[in-house]
Amino acid sequence: MKSLRLLSLVAVVIMLGPVCAHAAEVKIIANPSVTANVISAGELKSVFLEEKNSLSDGTHAEPVLKKSGPVHEAFLRQYLGRTDDDLRTYYRALVFTGRGSMPKELSSDAEVIAYVAGKRGAIGYVSSETSTEGVKTLAVADAGNIAERKLIARVDPGYPETLKRLNIGGTVRLQVTIAPKGNVENVQVLGGNPILAEFAISAVKQWVYAAGHSRTSTEVTILFDPRR
Amino acid sequence: MHRRIVAVISVCLCLWSGQVTLKAQEFKLFDRTVQVHGFASQGLVYTNENNWLTMNTSQGSAAFTDFGLNMSAPATDKLRVGAQVYDRNLGQLGQYHPSLDWAVADYRFKPWFGVRGGKVKTTLGLYNDTQDLDFLRTFALLPQSVYPTDLRDASIAHLGGDLYGNISLKHRLGTLSYAAYAGHRSDSLYSGNAYLASEYRVYYSSYGGLQYGGDLRWSTPLKGLLIGASRIDGDLTGKAKFINPLNPGAGFVPYAEVSKADWSNQFYGEYTAGKLRIDSEYRRFVHDGIVNRGLIETVTDVRGWYISGAYRFIKRLALGAYYSRYSITSVSGGPEAAYAPDQTDISLPANHLYDKVITGRVDLNRFWNVKVEGHFMNGYGASTYPDGFYPQVNSHFKPNTNALVVKTGVSF
Repeated sequence: MKSLRLLSLVAVVIMLGPVCAHAAEVKIIANPSVTANVISAGELKSVFLEEKNSLSDGTHAEPVLKKSGPVHEAFLRQYLGRTDDDLRTYYRALVFTGRGSMPKELSSDAEVIAYVAGKRGAIGYVSSETSTEGVKTLAVADAGNIAERKLIARVDPGYPETLKRLNIGGTVRLQVTIAPKGNVENVQVLGGNPILAEFAISAVKQWVYAAGHSRTSTEVTILFDPRR
Repeated sequence: MHRRIVAVISVCLCLWSGQVTLKAQEFKLFDRTVQVHGFASQGLVYTNENNWLTMNTSQGSAAFTDFGLNMSAPATDKLRVGAQVYDRNLGQLGQYHPSLDWAVADYRFKPWFGVRGGKVKTTLGLYNDTQDLDFLRTFALLPQSVYPTDLRDASIAHLGGDLYGNISLKHRLGTLSYAAYAGHRSDSLYSGNAYLASEYRVYYSSYGGLQYGGDLRWSTPLKGLLIGASRIDGDLTGKAKFINPLNPGAGFVPYAEVSKADWSNQFYGEYTAGKLRIDSEYRRFVHDGIVNRGLIETVTDVRGWYISGAYRFIKRLALGAYYSRYSITSVSGGPEAAYAPDQTDISLPANHLYDKVITGRVDLNRFWNVKVEGHFMNGYGASTYPDGFYPQVNSHFKPNTNALVVKTGVSF
């Protein structure tokens, strides 16, 4: 009976093994020299396939790989749509025809973070659980799920009467990064009056969206109308 | 001999056991990281009938060796430089004369526009620029109807420049990649062309000229599907000495060949899904060459296509198969046309080569692979244009040839 239990346990572990491996969540990190806080899934793929060596804002970008492991596999599957073998074959074709280099490969999250922190333009990936001090986290905007995250709780921004009386108004555009759990992780000002932007940011940071499978990004426009 | 065998076996065991690890090397130069990569392969070919690829394969031949070494580094964020040396010995070809395979300065202004110059690998179809890199694919030999290894030098690179880029199409329509190039092609004197010519007592001192073309490929919205087309044109001149069969007593006399037309069109498609890869290509090559101002003019028309599939069953094992079909016609004119009779009937084994191939590839580790490949060929296509079977190593041709190719390669 005892051995039957043991066998059952082993079977459960074996069955759960692949599930756990697939469950690895990935966080995209970048050297602080990368000005963007959000990168599109397409752009991320292009950087890792060495089709791009700069981001759309002109910042230099270069990929950093992990050698192996569930995070590496999850990244390849989620963002590149390739197996490890395919990717290595792809890089070798570049290297041996003079059209690219082999990206830096590192073993652990700690090594990736240390390297990305010190290398201008470096973009890598680590487990979503890993602390990422010294590097910035990039949200990946997947064109497929932008704006699909439903806003559950909205906090209106403050608008001081003084500003209204001085007729200071207009729109503020923000790039909002939403964590898988739905909380707002990061807000970047895309345009608008800097004073009003401060009020907008502090309000948007309190917003809550519906939970999703991955970190997403969306653009938010807030109107400050002094006549209201 | 015994010591050599022991040494080879020892190296193999060390590689396999991981006691010797191949790693890409890198070092710093002026604060830039220089990467060093290399590859080498050794093959063994045995045929039951005709000798193939200029080797004495009917006896079993291991004269099938190649290797390359490259260095590259980013000079700036947008500029990368590098070079590769390549050498091979394939029967009578190559003969261990090393060549500068590529030497490139590559400046990418934008993802959709870059320039590379120097000696640049020529983009033509799916595999022209990577045809030496057998570790990239399942097969030991690419389909010879489209990628004849004995003519590798004719299309592998040009001294000139490329414009290239990737354009992401809106509305999720995929990506377009383009390359346009122009430059000078210079064939090795140890290639199949020169070797075949020597049969007719023509000994080249140079062969090459202007080469220009382009490639456009579309990564379609259907995941894993790529289609494309390439075109290449040449304006070529060959200089040689030869013994005129009409006047052999005069000894060697100058020989000059110019191309009135020299072009290839290639169309291709590739589909990958997980561990499965299927691809197919068609190439038509036309060469109209005029010798000694009209002494003889020959129009050669080569058509080749293949379909191939490969599947990686487990991480270390992949199996593949392809069917490759090649046909050639040639028509000659001029006072000495009788020395190159017209060949227009592609049903004759002399004017076609059909090849059924099966391959198994085992990756012993990340750096080292072994391939075993069977070829079942009908025809030998020995004509005015090289295609693997040469009269110099075959006293007479037989219509069918089966070949076993065993090849091992390392890369780092």
